[in-house]
Amino acid sequence: MEGAFKTFKEICEDPYRLVPSKKVIGLTPTDIPEELIHASGLLPFWIMGTTAPIKRVTALIPDNACSFARSSLELVLEYQRDFFAGFVISQVDDTTQHMSDLWERRFRDRFFHKFLAPRQLSRPSARFWFEKELYFLKKALEGFTGKTIKENELWESIKLFNEDKKWLLRLYDIKRRSPDLVLNRTFFEAVKASLLMEKEEHLNVLRKVIDELETSQRTKGQGEWIPVVLCGLFVEPFEIFDLLDEYRLNVVGDNLIVGSRYIYGICQEADDPFQALIDRHFSRPNLSPVHDDPFRVINDVTDLFYQSGAKGVIYLHIQYCESQEFDLPDLRRYLREKGIPLLIITTDFQTRHVGLLRTRIEAFRELLGKA
Amino acid sequence: MNARELAKVFTEEYLEEARNAHQVGKFVAYTTAVSPVEILRAHDFIPIYPENHSVSLITRRLCQSLSEVIEKQGYTSHLCAYARCDLGWRDVRESPAGGIPDPDFLLSCNAQCFTLVKWFEILSRRYKVPLFVFDTPQWIRDGERRKEILNYCVMQLKELISTLEEITGRKFDYDRLREVVRLSDKACRLYRKFLDMAAYKPSPITIFDALIHMAIIVYLRGTPQAVTYYEVLVQEIEEKVKRKEAAVPGERFRLYWENLPVWFKFRDHFNLLASYGAAILTSLYVHDWAHEFEPDKDPLLTLAENYVSGFSNVTLEERADMALELFERYNLNGMIMFINRSCKAVSFAVHELKELLTEKTGIPALVFEADMGDPRFYSEVQVRSRIEAYLETLSELVG
Repeated sequence: MEGAFKTFKEICEDPYRLVPSKKVIGLTPTDIPEELIHASGLLPFWIMGTTAPIKRVTALIPDNACSFARSSLELVLEYQRDFFAGFVISQVDDTTQHMSDLWERRFRDRFFHKFLAPRQLSRPSARFWFEKELYFLKKALEGFTGKTIKENELWESIKLFNEDKKWLLRLYDIKRRSPDLVLNRTFFEAVKASLLMEKEEHLNVLRKVIDELETSQRTKGQGEWIPVVLCGLFVEPFEIFDLLDEYRLNVVGDNLIVGSRYIYGICQEADDPFQALIDRHFSRPNLSPVHDDPFRVINDVTDLFYQSGAKGVIYLHIQYCESQEFDLPDLRRYLREKGIPLLIITTDFQTRHVGLLRTRIEAFRELLGKA
Repeated sequence: MNARELAKVFTEEYLEEARNAHQVGKFVAYTTAVSPVEILRAHDFIPIYPENHSVSLITRRLCQSLSEVIEKQGYTSHLCAYARCDLGWRDVRESPAGGIPDPDFLLSCNAQCFTLVKWFEILSRRYKVPLFVFDTPQWIRDGERRKEILNYCVMQLKELISTLEEITGRKFDYDRLREVVRLSDKACRLYRKFLDMAAYKPSPITIFDALIHMAIIVYLRGTPQAVTYYEVLVQEIEEKVKRKEAAVPGERFRLYWENLPVWFKFRDHFNLLASYGAAILTSLYVHDWAHEFEPDKDPLLTLAENYVSGFSNVTLEERADMALELFERYNLNGMIMFINRSCKAVSFAVHELKELLTEKTGIPALVFEADMGDPRFYSEVQVRSRIEAYLETLSELVG
């Protein structure tokens, strides 16, 4: 069992050591329907920055740009240029929109597609536009591979991805109930690894892990773990999870991109695969840069808190993420009014040093312990 | 009356009407500088631009103190100075510009930037009024996708109209919209004519004139007043041309400016540059309102075409082409590229844009970083010495 989890850990730490059997298409991590890429015989692979030093990006984009964006562009320019056969970049805000231009100019020799997802979600036009963009993505992929994506192939991919997510949800359920068995870091590594490896392989490892866990979980109790929810976009570096584990803060709910926003994105297996992908897109939790009901940024967090039975909220703020910086003061004020304990952690994709957070997490744990 | 006097009168009338909107059966809509305001005007919504009000606060050097008010609430100093000034002002409620009335409705268009959407979301929560986001996907160079982008935009404009009808309980009048678009088109073309007078040698205007006179095209386009104003202004500048009056006597350097201005250094920059015979003549920013509507077309389509294709929503290559066209038309021989910490949408690609423009024109560029509103991010000595060094380099080249 530990060996299987170790597979996920190693992949998260160095996903580029694998030799994929398919051409790799790098994706920026928001709402690109990766099943379409899989159905075209390619490997969708999420680009999630690097902790290696920034060398080239400094001369390209201002230093107050989102650290995730800087880090991801650096990764492909300096460190893993040859790993990717192409890219699909989603535009969700100013940073991703303008970064995609810089990116495209440097990869003229590769497949490159901008996915222009709707940045408003509450009106019928958004569905119209998402459907068009699905069509354009499909067409671009078919142009690249020279192969038409058949409806049954898309269904097969959707079913495979659904299956993987269902197993991740089972793992999440075990982790919630038995955090000693599945630590926070272990669980979120399993999720992250799913975005960085061939899905069939991930699913095989995951099944094996869960089969073993489900026979052993009754021997472990929840003990003194305190339930919390994690909110924001990403948790990086993953060493933050080590601190949560050390202080026995059990993540029982989240709305993270590499978390529930992904694993709850299961498509309904109905008649039309395109409609299934569209329905899934519009059922996801709020994403800060994308406009929806302005109260959703607050209500999603409070709903998650109350429904999960958590004792507090930990919010991960990415350095220089403008949309989060606009949301946070209202969120903080609202949670305070409701008496919901909140810890805001600002993170940077360029560091793995989380020592400075230790005292704050410890203090938050003490606060929740007294509540 | 001359243009400046007209501007004062029209602005006072406009703000007065906005402050008394409810008494005359109208609504106040906050909107963003680049947005299809014609639809609001055609349905008796008075558009108010928090960005413009923020500029007036910045030019009175209030940005830092207002920012500090909201930084105590957890907002960061990295955010747009317009947003910081506006949110700060809403707490202190003291404005030398007289303030702006509270909104009944919010319209934000992300062709300009996404910052405005997030800023307006805060206002929507605060005032509990609806926010409509007009989403404009990047105007990429792909004919098939452009066609669908326009369909998406037109569909949204119809949704906007339905929303306004719901608020007012009145049916939208498309004939009135056509008339408003016609007025917008007239004013925008006159505004463009005014901007293009910088092509004369010597130029009768600089970008500083453009920045002052663009206020009316931002907040009064779609009205007869805007048309009158630019007719008078164009006449005034034509007189200057006849008299061969130079905005910068002894003009030697004709410069392009990238980005919004450093609003609180407006006069200093003009004086410093003028002392070297340098005139900044134009920028893509001031051209962002030089629309060319087609009043005989479906009004929603011509609005969509114009508002989706502004310089901050096109690809980097297209933006460079737009700037190069200005270089040619205005016969420019230098460029100052400002990386504005406040404005990520415009600043993100400035380094790359500079490379492209220098490569195509052979003209060296000055790049500097500061903030358009916040003096904490402006180094007087550094900026001044860099401008001076750049102009000395240009002197060597231009002779």
